[in-house]
Amino acid sequence: MNNIKAIDDYLLGSMAPGDKLLFEANMLLNNDLVNDMEHQQNTYTVIRQYSRQKIKGEIVAVQKILATAPQHMGFMDRIVNLFKKY
Amino acid sequence: MNNNRLSTVEQREAFFVALYKKAFPNVARYIARMGGNLEEAQDIFQDALVIYYEKVASAQAEIIVSEKAYLLGIAKRLWLQHYKAGLKNQPLNDFDIEVVPDEQLATNKLLHYLETAGKKCMELLKAYYYDHLPVGDVATLFGYSGTHSATVAKYKCLEKVRETVKQNSLNYADFIE
Repeated sequence: MNNIKAIDDYLLGSMAPGDKLLFEANMLLNNDLVNDMEHQQNTYTVIRQYSRQKIKGEIVAVQKILATAPQHMGFMDRIVNLFKKY
Repeated sequence: MNNNRLSTVEQREAFFVALYKKAFPNVARYIARMGGNLEEAQDIFQDALVIYYEKVASAQAEIIVSEKAYLLGIAKRLWLQHYKAGLKNQPLNDFDIEVVPDEQLATNKLLHYLETAGKKCMELLKAYYYDHLPVGDVATLFGYSGTHSATVAKYKCLEKVRETVKQNSLNYADFIE
């Protein structure tokens, strides 16, 4: 059985105190576990980067809607005008 | 925080439209006064919205009294951090409230690979770990029969992506642009 869930619980702080102690003892003895944990931590970073790109894409799409959709007409023009004063 | 209302793209669209209407004029006015241009104001506001979204979606979300004031606060901080210091165009992943080790690890090439080779998994993991959606919502959104199946799928995906990250770990230099 892989250690995905155990590492997930450990890194996200949802492991029971007794299990946590055992897990940390395991880490001292098992280099593979330490390596897997490092890769999993990096995986969370990758997930966050991916997710940020996706959310940013949705936000950019919203900005386009605001600039072009008839129901938002005038909104971006007012923003553009703010930059003409300075 | 109950973020059920942000489960779908449509719900998030309505959320972001409302925030643009409410807070973008103030942020744009500030950036204009500071000598910035429209494009800079748009970039700053987009990044501020990402940060705000993360705050709202976070499992430990705090109550934010004024969205408008909060977004202006983030925008000011971003402006000072990225522009006043002359660090134009520094990507958002350099900015965070928490310091995340190896943040630069996730490079565009790796992300591109994961997006094409494992998009469904990445979307599922995003729903869990980034959007912090309740497991029941995740099951519904992704067409799983129940929360158990959705949870099993999450671990399988996590394993798959971790394996990809591991395989590439020896070659990170290749991913640095």
